[in-house]
Amino acid sequence: MATEILWWIFAAAIVGTALGVVFSGSVIHSAIFLILSLAGVGAMYLFLMVEFLALVQFLIYGGAVTVLILLALMLTRMGAGEKVNGSQAPAGFMVAVALAAILVSVAVRTAWPGDTGDMPHNIAIEAVSEKLFLDFGAPFVIASALLLVALIGAIVLARQEDGE
Amino acid sequence: MNGASPLPFGDVFFGWSWLDAIIRIVIVVLIMTVVVVYLTYGERKVVARIQQRLGPNRVGPWGLLQGFADAIKLLIKEDIRPRAADRWVFEFAPFLTFIPVLMVLAALPFARDWGVRNVTLGLLFVNAALGLNIVGIMMAGLGSGNKYALLGGVRAAAQMISYEIPLVISIICVAMVAGTLDLNAIAILQEDRPFLLLQPLAFVIFFTAMLSELHRAPFDIPVAESEIVGGYFVEYSGIRWSMFQLTEYASLWAFSIFGSVVFLGGWEFPMGSDWGWGWQLFLTFVKSLAWIIAVMWVRTTVPRLRIDQLMSFCWKVLLPMSLVQLLMNGFILVYDWPQELLTLTSGIGAAALVGFILYRTARHPSVAHLVGAYKRAGAQAQ
Repeated sequence: MATEILWWIFAAAIVGTALGVVFSGSVIHSAIFLILSLAGVGAMYLFLMVEFLALVQFLIYGGAVTVLILLALMLTRMGAGEKVNGSQAPAGFMVAVALAAILVSVAVRTAWPGDTGDMPHNIAIEAVSEKLFLDFGAPFVIASALLLVALIGAIVLARQEDGE
Repeated sequence: MNGASPLPFGDVFFGWSWLDAIIRIVIVVLIMTVVVVYLTYGERKVVARIQQRLGPNRVGPWGLLQGFADAIKLLIKEDIRPRAADRWVFEFAPFLTFIPVLMVLAALPFARDWGVRNVTLGLLFVNAALGLNIVGIMMAGLGSGNKYALLGGVRAAAQMISYEIPLVISIICVAMVAGTLDLNAIAILQEDRPFLLLQPLAFVIFFTAMLSELHRAPFDIPVAESEIVGGYFVEYSGIRWSMFQLTEYASLWAFSIFGSVVFLGGWEFPMGSDWGWGWQLFLTFVKSLAWIIAVMWVRTTVPRLRIDQLMSFCWKVLLPMSLVQLLMNGFILVYDWPQELLTLTSGIGAAALVGFILYRTARHPSVAHLVGAYKRAGAQAQ
C-alpha cells in the first residue's frame, strides 16, 4: 500500500516535470525540469529494486547528459525573453504527436511478461559485469570502438584548422 | 502494481528503519555543522600560520568562537536577489548544490558498520552523487543574470567534467584491487596495509582530481576572486551564500573521509576491528584531519593555474596515467601475479608523475606559443 502511494507520487512527479520540459518558457527551465524528470525515473528504478540501474541513471542522465546540455546552453547566446518556438513549431508538433502515437500503440500491443514483482531484482554487480565483459565482451568492445570513432569525428569536425 | 503482491520495498519507507535512518542522518548533519564551523576557523588558522600571521584570535579563547560569530552574522544578513536573476533557478541553486553532499555523507562509514546506511554499491553511489554536484553550480551560474557568474559556471562545468574522469578511474583501480564496491568491505580489506601502499599512483591522481572537484587552489579557477570576482556565487548574500560555503566545507570533509576509507584504510587500518569503536572513530578523525590539512597546505603553497594549463594537465597527464594504472592492474590481477608487483608498478608510476610535475616546475617555461603579456612575463622570468 505504502509503496503504491509513493509509486503514484513519483509517477505524477515524472509526468509533471516532463510536461514542464515541454511547456516552460525558457530553455534553462526545460533543462532543469529534464534533470528532475530523469531523477524521478531513477527513483522508479529503486522501486523496482534494481539499484545498479538507478545509480547509473543518476550518474549518466542526471550527471553527464544534462550537464552537457546546460554547458551547451551556457556557451550559446540566449536571452531571457527569447521565444522558444520558431516557425518550425507546427512540424515539430506533428512529429511529436506521431511519435507519441507510435509509442503508445506499441506499449498497448506488447504482451508484457508477467508482473514486476516476478522480475529479477537486486542483481549482484558481479553477475552484471560477468555478462557484460565475458558473455557479451565482443559487442562491448565494438560499441566502445564506435564511440571512440564518433568522439574523434566530433573533434575533427569541431576543430577546423586554418586552410582546411 | 496490483494490490495482491506489493513489493516489499515499502518496508524501507514506512518501517522502523525509516525512523532509524532519520535519527542517524540528524546526528551526521549536526556533527557536520560543527565540523564545518571549525573547518572555516581551522582553515584561517592554518593558512595564517603558514603565512606567518596570527589568524582569528579575538572571539573566545584563541578565537575559537570565531566560526559561530561568522555564522550568526551570515544568517542575519540581508538576502539580496538581483532583478536580472531568474527567480526560482537563483533561489533553489544553493540548496541543490547541498543535496549531493548530503547523499555522499549518507553512504560513508564513520566506524565499523556505522554510517547512515551501508550501501552495497557504495563507491558507485558516491560517484553518482558527486556527478549531480555540478547541477546546482550551473544553476547558480545561469540564474544569476551576471556575466561573471556565468563565466564561473562555465569554468566549473568544464573543469568538473574533465577531472571527474581521472577521479573515477582512480577509484575504479582501487575497486579492482578490492573486488568490491562496498565501502565497509573495502575498509575491512585494508586490515594489514592501506591501499595507499598498493596504489600510490591512483592515490596521487585521486588527490589531484579531488582538489579540482573541490575548487581548491591550485584549481580554484571557477571561484578565482582576482579574475572573476568569486565566480558562480558572486550575486549571493546572506543565508544562500552561506549554503555555498557550507557545501564547500562539507564536501571537503566528505571527500576526506571517503578518501581515507578508500586509500588510507578508513576506520580499520591499524587495529580498527580489535580495539573497538572509540579507536575507530579516532582513526577516522585523525585521517580526515591529516587529509584536510594536506589540502590546506597545497592551497597555500601552489599558485593558481591558467585554464589551458588546467585542461591540458587533466587530459594529457592525469587521464593517460590513470589509464596506465588501470591496464597494469588488469594484467596483474587477471594473471594473479603477486601484490608486491602492484606496489612496484604503481610506485614507479607515482614517482614518474610527481617527478614530471617537479621537472615542469623547475625548468624554464617555453614562451614560444604565448602571446602578449604572457610572453613578456615569460621572457622576463627567463
